[in-house]
Amino acid sequence: MKRQIPLMIVLFLGILLTVQFFIPSNSSTVFYQTVIQWYLIITGFTIILAVGSLVNHHNLKIRRRKEHWWNSIATITGVVVMALLGILGKIEGLGWMMDLYRKLFKYVQAPMDSAMFAILAFYMASASYRAFRARSKEALLLLISGFIVMLGVVPFGAYLWRAIPDISEWILMVPNMASKRGILLGVGLGSAATALKIILGIERSWLGGGGK
Amino acid sequence: MNIWEKMSKIDRRIIYLMVGLAVIIPLIFPMNLPSYPSKYAIKLYNEVDKIAPNNQPLLVSADYSPSMMPELHPMFMAIARHCFAKKIRLLVTTLDPNGAALAEDALLKISKEYPDIVYGRDYVMLGYKPGFFTVIMLLGESIIKAYPKDHFGTPLAQLPMMANVRNYADIPLVITLCGSKAMDSWVIYAGTRYHAKVGYGNTAVASADYYPWLQSGQLVGQLNGLKGASEYEYLNEKNGYTKAPKTASKGMDAVAIVHLLIMAFIIIGNIGFFALRSKSKQQGGN
Repeated sequence: MKRQIPLMIVLFLGILLTVQFFIPSNSSTVFYQTVIQWYLIITGFTIILAVGSLVNHHNLKIRRRKEHWWNSIATITGVVVMALLGILGKIEGLGWMMDLYRKLFKYVQAPMDSAMFAILAFYMASASYRAFRARSKEALLLLISGFIVMLGVVPFGAYLWRAIPDISEWILMVPNMASKRGILLGVGLGSAATALKIILGIERSWLGGGGK
Repeated sequence: MNIWEKMSKIDRRIIYLMVGLAVIIPLIFPMNLPSYPSKYAIKLYNEVDKIAPNNQPLLVSADYSPSMMPELHPMFMAIARHCFAKKIRLLVTTLDPNGAALAEDALLKISKEYPDIVYGRDYVMLGYKPGFFTVIMLLGESIIKAYPKDHFGTPLAQLPMMANVRNYADIPLVITLCGSKAMDSWVIYAGTRYHAKVGYGNTAVASADYYPWLQSGQLVGQLNGLKGASEYEYLNEKNGYTKAPKTASKGMDAVAIVHLLIMAFIIIGNIGFFALRSKSKQQGGN
């Protein structure tokens, strides 16, 4: 029954929502709106689950003194402090907590997050120097395309030759798009097939338990 | 190690140092490189510009976190300045938990530049709500159902700007600023299902993914990375909407130099590679 009931709910709601899409009646719209609100409520609970899972994971790491366990202390401290400041800061008279929450976000979390992404520029520069070698005709083609697109996105490109941004756009709009469209079609068909398999109960891995 | 081998195997620490200098120097000594707005940036700009003042609002979704801030935050600020200068009403939401704080900070800063702009009448901050694409779908049904209260806890019904704004039917344009798959959800649900007009700004690294949507007309325009933000700033200034410092344009100097540096490294690497290859062929022939 533990598996049958979720499968029946998915089958019932899957078919109902598919049919609902083609019925433009008032009751059909009300049903649709209600389902969306249910979904929002369930999503709220997933956040609780995610926080619980994160705390559990790091708690276990600290208790077992696993490698770099002290980093887990920083993670749990961060989660607890930010959550407390954010929640309690909404209470009247504790506005200073919200101010502190904002300051921690603006001056600690945001710069750290930005710095992580900024480091990519260094790795990308080093990786492109090593990887972009014209070892074959295909690699040469990729190299030339990459050069034109790079020149097209900086003002120097148009400064050198006004047509470079147009050529760069053509590369993105024609050969790049042809491959992207193929991938998108494949992903779309794959998603539809997977959704159908889930609704019909053929695909059951989402139930957990390794498909047993 | 001969010169060709040195060219072919530059120490990564030298590359890091050069990239660091290429970023820092143009930021200290701006070069004010010219801006050439792209076709899709102009299209998006015109779509915003033709929204009637003091009427239906532009919906901007700040779907980004601090990691994408250098590219997407200047876009948000440029769009907000455009709206405030032209009295286009602005509705702000976010699908990213970090986006609310970033958007709030930007709005607080920009609203000081326009003293006649009033919160609740000229702009409203809806804030963050978990649920991702479900939020987009619910906004298409009823904004007040998705957000009974705004970001600051005021009931939406009490805000004069929201009096006649029920769903996408009352929103002439939706712009998502994202570096994730949020854009797909906006196109699929807001655009296709609810027929909303959607435009977007994204990180440069993700831009190649979205050209199919542009070509099919499912997206009305695009701001491509920091370049897109600088183009929007340029268009704002050209049309006399703002004289605020152009943060994205300053950053574009650094981006341009780093791009040239990377190209130079690639050329050097390839010269070394070909020289070594021809040398080894000659040795093989002997």
